[in-house]
Amino acid sequence: MFSRLSYTFREMWASLRRNLTLTVAAVITSSVSLLLFGLTLLIQRGFDNQLSQWSGGVELIVYIENDASPEQIELVRGALEKTPDVIDTSKLEYLDIAQSLVEAQRLFAGDPETLQLLTEKNIPTQFKVVPTPDATPELLTQLALGFDELPKVIQVAFPSDQIEVLATLRGFIGLRLYLITGFLLLSAVLLIWNTIRTAMFARRREIEVMKLVGATNWFIRLPFMLEGLLQGLVGGVVASGAMLLFNANWTSGVKKFPSESGFGAFVVTGSYPMWIVFWIVVLGMLVGAIGSGTAASRFLDV
Amino acid sequence: MIKLENVTKSYSTEVTALRDASFDVAKAEFVFLVGPSGSGKSTLLRLMNRQEKPEKGAVWVAGRNINDMPDTKVPHLRRNIGNIFQDYKLLSNKTVFENVAFALEVIGRPKHVIRQQVPAVLDLVGLAGKQERFPHQLSGGEQQRVSIARAFVNRPLILLADEPTGNLDPTTGEGIMRLLDRINKTGTTVVMATHDQRIVNMMRKRVIQLDRGIIVRDQARGVYE
Repeated sequence: MFSRLSYTFREMWASLRRNLTLTVAAVITSSVSLLLFGLTLLIQRGFDNQLSQWSGGVELIVYIENDASPEQIELVRGALEKTPDVIDTSKLEYLDIAQSLVEAQRLFAGDPETLQLLTEKNIPTQFKVVPTPDATPELLTQLALGFDELPKVIQVAFPSDQIEVLATLRGFIGLRLYLITGFLLLSAVLLIWNTIRTAMFARRREIEVMKLVGATNWFIRLPFMLEGLLQGLVGGVVASGAMLLFNANWTSGVKKFPSESGFGAFVVTGSYPMWIVFWIVVLGMLVGAIGSGTAASRFLDV
Repeated sequence: MIKLENVTKSYSTEVTALRDASFDVAKAEFVFLVGPSGSGKSTLLRLMNRQEKPEKGAVWVAGRNINDMPDTKVPHLRRNIGNIFQDYKLLSNKTVFENVAFALEVIGRPKHVIRQQVPAVLDLVGLAGKQERFPHQLSGGEQQRVSIARAFVNRPLILLADEPTGNLDPTTGEGIMRLLDRINKTGTTVVMATHDQRIVNMMRKRVIQLDRGIIVRDQARGVYE
């Protein structure tokens, strides 16, 4: 068992060194495509942060003072539920102090000064309102004017034109970036496939001898498959490092922007970047495995 | 040890490499396959180690019909068959020792077994002391001895040799034949394709003659005609 393992890794390493130029090309291609994949996720997350208030079809937010009593909150809820033909009551959502704080952390991720000012003692709570499909914007605006008069209601907010533009932009950019990523990942698969094919062709005599002396197909394939897997893995690690570096630079750069620029939410913090790293590495290994696995099976009869 | 029953093999609709071939080879027998180029000698050898499958008929090796054998079992069949080629098929980047050890390494033999068996077989083929040389540092005869050592190191039941003396001068070729004879006497069945008339006449072993894919002669202690 040990001798087989040592053979497999020794041959994999030798083959990598022998095809250094092609290996480097495959690693660069896979890392560029994986970096683009990571950046797409980051950008999407940035948009999501910015749009988080308005996700799920929310078109009206009723902000309530932090010190409102449960009875006062219920009064607002009651008023909202009174018009089921305009407001979809099944989707009516109330964000308490803790939930409003979590949302604020996403919204002001790149604006720590503003975030610092928001505490459990002063952050307003909110009702998120989703209108029914039949509700017209005029009807909703008219209704909103009435909510302004209710006790402890600070403000009734509608999505601004800027938000509408961002939502459209998110869909436009996201789809196209995923498409480009897809094409680049395909080219990485093909390049790894070609690298393995070249490696197998260079060792065709060795493979012929191996088959004749009774080596199993899996024994012959495994070093080549591991070679491709390693290329994908290295591509994933390089892309992850570049993505984290980009995110760190962007995060520190955004802090210098004025608060009203709206870029504060385009910052991805917490565990999300590491979640992206995980998927970049998994995708990199998958790209390597698909490229090398298909080549190693297809070209075994050399 | 080997049995062919009405074996037919074609490579295309026009070329029939072997037609209705039947014969038996007993354990420890030495058989020459003779005939001109393209008569089907190499095809016969390739059918015996399942590099090819026949269209019709059956090939039995060590009691098993190898045509019905699943692909996953073929490597295990081949561990019992040594192959020797006219062009040696040595790996130029490996030393003599590594070339022979390679055959054991790729079937998962442990290192201590390799360290023990390789020098023994190199000694048997007369290459003791040359184990660190590379193929290009050896003569043709010596390279063929390495090839024989690699084929025999796993002590196979059968040795299939395809024109093993084809690239060698007569004296060196005789040396190779003496070595194959010695291996045969240890109980290994040897099937050798050749059109080296002198060697066939010298050895006086069983001769199966082929002509355009048909067995035209099967003679014990035969000569090349």
